[in-house]
Amino acid sequence: MKNKILILCIYVLFHSCEPDDICIDTIDDTPKVLIGFYDKDSKIKKEVNNLMIQGIDNDEIYLIQTLDSVAIPLKNLENLSSYNFVKDYTENANSSGNNDKLFINYDFTYKYISRACGYITNYELKDLVIENDNNNWILETEIIITNIIDEENIHVKIFH
Amino acid sequence: MLKYFISFFILINYFSLFSQEKSEIDSIYKSTYGIKLGLDFSKQIRMLTEPEYKGLVLIGDYRILDKVYISIELGSEEKLVKNEVLSFKTEGSFYKAGINYNVFKNIQDLENEIYIGIRYGSSKFNHQLNSFNVYNIDQYWELNNNISNSSSYENLTAKWLEFVVGFKAQVIKNFYMGLNLNVNRVLSQKSPENFSNLYIPGFNKVIENNNVGVGFSYTIQYQIPFFRKKNN
Repeated sequence: MKNKILILCIYVLFHSCEPDDICIDTIDDTPKVLIGFYDKDSKIKKEVNNLMIQGIDNDEIYLIQTLDSVAIPLKNLENLSSYNFVKDYTENANSSGNNDKLFINYDFTYKYISRACGYITNYELKDLVIENDNNNWILETEIIITNIIDEENIHVKIFH
Repeated sequence: MLKYFISFFILINYFSLFSQEKSEIDSIYKSTYGIKLGLDFSKQIRMLTEPEYKGLVLIGDYRILDKVYISIELGSEEKLVKNEVLSFKTEGSFYKAGINYNVFKNIQDLENEIYIGIRYGSSKFNHQLNSFNVYNIDQYWELNNNISNSSSYENLTAKWLEFVVGFKAQVIKNFYMGLNLNVNRVLSQKSPENFSNLYIPGFNKVIENNNVGVGFSYTIQYQIPFFRKKNN
């Protein structure tokens, strides 16, 4: 009986020590806002040619790619994230393409995950503003899902 | 943790050698019945080695049968837990009640115990969350992911079951020293909203996935003898 309990002690000790202290990759981190690009008339997905995305006041380009959906990160401690969305961008050419400025307003809360991973941020979209520059390639926006808790479905539709 | 096991095994062997030598003597002797009161001084050792820990645990045993003791523990603990992503302080008090069964056959005039036991534990505690990290792989905005956040989670409770193995040796007349190891499992708990009971006073660190914890204690106790009785 005594031996059995000791073996049980040792088993439980070594069996259960590791996974709790490491944040495993399979656990979802803070979700980004998932944007889908759609045709203004047909309402079906339509790629944006050579889209360059760069945060306003950020020196780094987020991506340059032809795509029909993209996930972009929001700031944690602020209620506003702003991006330049440049269509038909060509590298090494200054101010190429058509730049539309996108302002995303939101609230945020922190959600507990685990001892090893800490917390993630969840967002609640409030408002999406495209700065009017008389030559906007983005014609319309629509918030589909207000609460950003994962990246499974499109949160925001952009029509062009 | 391993070193406690090793020293524990050595001591068990020592005791069993002891008993093998003289256990043939089948004499009639009397053993003491009484109440043992004392302290789990592993908490005091922990206070010296872990500056972010405070604890006091009182223990009492009352012998009801030849091999059976009722055991009670009362305690209070305070612990600041810091890891890479969380910093919080837990404080609270607890009791544990249960029985010890002495499996050690004492030879004449010795009153030692090697026991197995079971406890029911209950704790009431608070957590004070100081800061946490936001888990965010994409660092495009180079944000400060460490959020200072002072939230307190109060009036939390947990109940658990504990399996104990240990020994007690009489070092001087009526003074006992001992060591025990325990494995605990949470039966029920009141968890805070948007946080978790990662440390429970009396229970120790909680492994989140399976609600299991482990602990050990060094005990020092004084026995108030009530009467002496012949063993069966």
